[in-house]
Amino acid sequence: MVKVAISYCAECGYEPQTLALADSLMRTFGSKLSAIELIPWFDGTFEVSVDGELVHSMRRDGGFADPDAVSLAVRERLAAKASA
Amino acid sequence: MGITPDRFQQGLSYEAWKAQMTRNRERFEENERDAPLTEQDLAAFRALPRPLHVMVLAEDWCGDVVANLPLLGRIAGETRKLDLRVFLRDQNLDLMDQYLNEGTYRSIPVFAFFDDEFREIAVFIERPRSVTELRDRKRREIYASDAGFGSPADPIDALPEDVRQRLHDALVKMRTETKSFADREVVRQLRELVTRAPAGRG
Repeated sequence: MVKVAISYCAECGYEPQTLALADSLMRTFGSKLSAIELIPWFDGTFEVSVDGELVHSMRRDGGFADPDAVSLAVRERLAAKASA
Repeated sequence: MGITPDRFQQGLSYEAWKAQMTRNRERFEENERDAPLTEQDLAAFRALPRPLHVMVLAEDWCGDVVANLPLLGRIAGETRKLDLRVFLRDQNLDLMDQYLNEGTYRSIPVFAFFDDEFREIAVFIERPRSVTELRDRKRREIYASDAGFGSPADPIDALPEDVRQRLHDALVKMRTETKSFADREVVRQLRELVTRAPAGRG
């Protein structure tokens, strides 16, 4: 199983993008995820990590995370764990 | 690059922009009220030979928009020399993609200044480089001050909650302490942009 964490800027009002991404992950992966952690942060942050690996950062990559790209990262992590 | 007069008129007035905000309006208006404008700043804009059209790309969820657009709005209101029209970035990507930050990022706010024949004369994107550099340096200093913070490149969720709280407090303090510098730099850059541009010369 894989854990996804989404750290979002609460004062910026990034809740809709955060919830949309969480919703997409829930529907795509269901019980293959061990947890989806939502972390209210600030300072224009929108970060997504998969098992502790940063896969998207607004500061680093610009903009919000593409749900398809996050799903791909989760799939790759699941596949890596399955083959380990 | 640019915008036609007809398209420009389709943008929101500054007041209409504020009226449609769904978040951050209180902070936006506080920043407008507290804008650190000097008489010299306002005189520089009032000295423009003709009003400039300013196309603004913005969204109300963006911290740089909430910080910087109120400064431009206050200048426009005080001097009557800037005709602002605001376009929501996500509904106007054709405009946005003409003004990509570093040719890549859809950074906002964008303030594009046009003369009365809609020739583009200057562009402001996101925030002054000096502000980014100062805050990046301060951020690195904060991370270096406490081994528990790890690296700025590490994900927030990797930190234990008590460490996360300490980091949060330190970053908030830094942002508060750098706000007046950031506001002054924005005003300085806007003033330089419009007064150096050909249409800004009397």
